[in-house]
Amino acid sequence: MSTGDPSSGARRPVLAVLLVLIGLCALLLTSAVHPGAHEVPAAGDDDGMPVLRAAAEAEGETPYTAVRQVTGPDGQPYGLRVVNRPGEGVVLAPIGAEDEPFVVEASQALESLDDRLLEMLRDTYRVADAGRTELDGRPARLVEAERADGTVAGRFWVEADSGLLVARTVYDQAGDPALSSNLTELEIGEGEWPERAETGEPWGEALDAQAREDLRSEGWKVDEQLTWNLRLVDARATEHEGHKVVHAVYSDGLSQISLFVQRGKLGSSHASSPSGGYVGTEEGGTGISSGHDTIFGGDVGQYQSMWQADGFVFTVLADAPAGLAGAAVKALPAPEGSGFWARVERGLSRLGPL
Amino acid sequence: MSSEHLGERLSALVDGELGPAEHESALIHLAKCEACRFEADMTRRLKRRLHGLGEPEPDLDFMGRLSSLDGGPGQDGPNPFDPPFGGGGGFGSSPPLGSSRPLGGFPGAPGGLGGEPLAASGPEADPTATPGARAPGTEATGERERADRGGSELLSQLLTPFAGGRYAVAGAAVVTALLGTAFVAGGEAEDAPVVEPRLADYAVEHAVTSRHIPVETSPEGYEPPPGSEVEQAGR
Repeated sequence: MSTGDPSSGARRPVLAVLLVLIGLCALLLTSAVHPGAHEVPAAGDDDGMPVLRAAAEAEGETPYTAVRQVTGPDGQPYGLRVVNRPGEGVVLAPIGAEDEPFVVEASQALESLDDRLLEMLRDTYRVADAGRTELDGRPARLVEAERADGTVAGRFWVEADSGLLVARTVYDQAGDPALSSNLTELEIGEGEWPERAETGEPWGEALDAQAREDLRSEGWKVDEQLTWNLRLVDARATEHEGHKVVHAVYSDGLSQISLFVQRGKLGSSHASSPSGGYVGTEEGGTGISSGHDTIFGGDVGQYQSMWQADGFVFTVLADAPAGLAGAAVKALPAPEGSGFWARVERGLSRLGPL
Repeated sequence: MSSEHLGERLSALVDGELGPAEHESALIHLAKCEACRFEADMTRRLKRRLHGLGEPEPDLDFMGRLSSLDGGPGQDGPNPFDPPFGGGGGFGSSPPLGSSRPLGGFPGAPGGLGGEPLAASGPEADPTATPGARAPGTEATGERERADRGGSELLSQLLTPFAGGRYAVAGAAVVTALLGTAFVAGGEAEDAPVVEPRLADYAVEHAVTSRHIPVETSPEGYEPPPGSEVEQAGR
């Protein structure tokens, strides 16, 4: 015989249903802000890393000439003639263009950068040895970079005979190729070195951890990490007309995004046209983010964006899928608005916690 | 002396300030001199008139308004001739400085000061309470007074039910000050130099670190080798 309230039995199911509904609502709300399953470093055995390290060593030991065929999201290829001389550098000459060749001089800084890029690749993705394959009829080794959800983010082909990395493809989240490069007409041996060429080497002032911390304390936006998969792999500085300019390189191991930060503000008529070969989608384009003043998205997988915020001018140059370049841009201070509330919001952020 | 007029002694005669001999002599002169007799008569009349003047009576209209402020007819209101600060308590018996109605009124005291609008029982409540009715010429002033009281009544009605009315006003002031400060702080930094980023130099630096140079798409003269598209897109 029950001595309890007869109505309490009827209330229990209602209470249970309410609790379940509340739990479902909480689950929906939390899942809406929870990062996707792929937005975490991939676990697993990185058995493809030795193959890529061996290819990097071969790049520093083997002279060769080749044609680098680069293909962007539009699938239309273009070519660069490449001459690699270990210890001297790499010559890059556009085929069919009258531009002078560009020489990247060999340096210890670039070798260190290559090592960090490989570390980033290992930390972000599962680097798996996918076995033997063929490329242009030549035997090669295929290495795949897999995301946490098992999708392929990048593929590398290492030629079996020379041990050189002869092809690579970066895929976007949807699985479509975003940027590919393929060495054709490969010939081992020292190629012709151009008599006249534009040369470049990394900016001289390397910024170590303490220097970056000092800059951050002065208000500079030089984060160690932009997104879960974009971490700082190199930071340098130089001066333009007496003003310090910082170059921070972020990468996930597959793509590189360069961030240039300079204190100041843009003039009323700053450069708003594509330059340096970057192909633009004009202002307000859909390549990266429609909220930024100057956006250029390239059909060849190269992006450029420039804006001002918080007393600094930010310029992003990216060789990356549009999604990754967009994530990097959005992780930085948003372009300054001109309305009342935008100014109030900017003022509150400057005042801080008071 | 009989040939001379009384002069200044005339007023002394009227005031009764002359001695017996001079008084007799002055009277004899008045019997003979018509001019002095006329002047003495006028002086006496003036003196009586002055003596006849009493203390000024208060204006009835003013008295009526004053008495109506403290209640209607039949109430035992204060004597209008009492001191203005009430009850004949004298100096110091009035409320101390700062004890007036606070902003938002006295919560929980609807019948007290601030609990109801000021002068709610004034002439508007019962125009017949005062002997002196409002003059037609004062209607405009009355309307203005009513409008002012209406605003006070509205404010009192808005704030009185909300015990934290004063805090709401203070909070609004703080928010306004914060927004103003943020607006000022959010202005463009005047000392920030105008810069023109060197995109060409940036492109070179980026090309060095990425070992890749930006080129125009599909430059004329480049023909990809056949079959090379298959491998670059996948396995």
